[in-house]
Amino acid sequence: MSYFGEVDLGSSFQPFTACREQFGFVPKLFRAQTLLPRLIEAEGALSSAILFTDKALTRTQKECILLVLAAAQANDYCFSLHYQMLRLLGVTEQRLDRIVADYQRADLSPTTAALLTLVLNLGTKEAVQEASSQGLSDESILEAILTAGLSRLLCTLATGVGAVPDFAVRPIPPQQSALIRDVDSGGPFLPAPELPDNYVPFVFLSEQFGAVPKVFRAQTLRPDILQAETDALRRLLLPEDALSRTQKRDILLTGADLEALRKSGHSQEQALEAAVITSFAAFLDVLQTGLGAGSDFAGKIGAKKVHLSPPEPRHTAVTLSIDLDADTVARVQKGDLDAFEELMTRHNQRVYRTLVGILGNPDDARDAMQDTFLKVFQHLGGFEGRSKFSTWLVSIATNTGIQRLRERRPMESLDESGPDEEGFRPRQVQAWTDDPEQLYSQAEMRSLIENGVMRLPMKYRMVLMLRDIEQLSIEEAASALGLGIPATKARLLRGRLMLRESLAPHFIPSGNMGSAKGVTN
Amino acid sequence: MISCADFMAEIGNYLEGEVASEVRLQLEHHLSHCQTCTVLVDSTRKTLKIVTDTGSFDLPEDAFRPIAAQIMAKIRGGAK
Repeated sequence: MSYFGEVDLGSSFQPFTACREQFGFVPKLFRAQTLLPRLIEAEGALSSAILFTDKALTRTQKECILLVLAAAQANDYCFSLHYQMLRLLGVTEQRLDRIVADYQRADLSPTTAALLTLVLNLGTKEAVQEASSQGLSDESILEAILTAGLSRLLCTLATGVGAVPDFAVRPIPPQQSALIRDVDSGGPFLPAPELPDNYVPFVFLSEQFGAVPKVFRAQTLRPDILQAETDALRRLLLPEDALSRTQKRDILLTGADLEALRKSGHSQEQALEAAVITSFAAFLDVLQTGLGAGSDFAGKIGAKKVHLSPPEPRHTAVTLSIDLDADTVARVQKGDLDAFEELMTRHNQRVYRTLVGILGNPDDARDAMQDTFLKVFQHLGGFEGRSKFSTWLVSIATNTGIQRLRERRPMESLDESGPDEEGFRPRQVQAWTDDPEQLYSQAEMRSLIENGVMRLPMKYRMVLMLRDIEQLSIEEAASALGLGIPATKARLLRGRLMLRESLAPHFIPSGNMGSAKGVTN
Repeated sequence: MISCADFMAEIGNYLEGEVASEVRLQLEHHLSHCQTCTVLVDSTRKTLKIVTDTGSFDLPEDAFRPIAAQIMAKIRGGAK
């Protein structure tokens, strides 16, 4: 179905629920990424903000843009998807075929035709001025450019993950050849109200890139989109469960060298993440070209007109990776004991952290590791791969840890509210230093974090450990702990705020101490 | 206008990027004039960044090796 293995994320995985509501099904493009659910969450948040929020353009207009651009990029997957979406929105096949064959002779409204002309000719101020002269508002133009960016993201992604079309492929008629233009550097092309540097998304972007890249400052007409973009980047860039942050920033800024990654023996998760980051680089590239915002991101992708060439063939290098866990699990199931040792080596940190989170001290956690891995071995014959192996492993570690805890403290209910459950109020509300990580050595910082986490009540510590240290999704953490999503979220927040409270004295500049007032109103 | 208490009720979803755009705008409007909640958001984000960056709770390789050896001995013993 795709280059990557598929795992069952359960029926409550929010982006899939949203897909079912919007499309009636979960597109294979997203099913191909279940090895790293946070990638789907990132794409889902961004797609929802651009596509499902009706502001300046209608959903049908945006789907028309996506259809025409998918045809221009000769992308079978996206072409068939958007064709079907427009059918569901009530557009007849006959009309769709006319639009794809030649939208200027398809009796479209002047507005929709102007939108399509715009997105097929991005990169110059004249294109934007022409759209304005056709009556398109600045908000409409920005939304069209964002939709064009989303198109490039989806097409690049479909190629990168090797998604097979969800619907019967319709032949894409020959498209008008592209007029290659140099990117006009005289931007920005649209008005962009200035937002302060302490605007929350800008703070995150500055942390990641050293300054706020111009493409984000060019989109301030839509703060909700800026927020969705930074949220998506946060999910993509911060966790280091596949590629490192440096690798990911490099891919965003200079483009991916997936071939080199392949040769260096990357895992399936790493290949998947590289494909997704590349697609985000392509998204940002379209925006910076369309908005005339310079070229901070992936200049190679933006070196020429952005829509009209198919994604580069090197993206398909990801096909050559293998699913390390799936193959290794299969070998164990056939009796290869060395393969089990490989699985242990690969996942021992994950099991250890899960157990520390529950048991609250490293010695007990080490002790319980043996029990956990023996249970995993004992039950591996019945593991059918319906969930990710690592998720299944964490749930066994969790159960083992909880069982140990019950043996140690049989009277303690793991679900009981602590005495201050409802009474917790943040008290340390002085600003932290700008760069707390510069204040202490790595070892000192680790010690501060470990002590702070260990002092958390167990029920908060368990969730925080799985979500923030082990980087599981909320759904995975909830599933491993046997909790509902709302309870998991509530405990996570409480754990984070309590940890923040205990760390605060170390990171508040000394001149600011002593004026605590707490959150009261 | 939302209060600090309203903001605190949504801060978890806000940090996870899981609020609807209309709610987000209200929260950010609140942040634009509330120093206390701005500090809370900023310092909680810094907390998460430190937690993620620091590499806490690493099990040293030489601590895992004997554990793995014991497990493999039991498994190989049981397999015979």
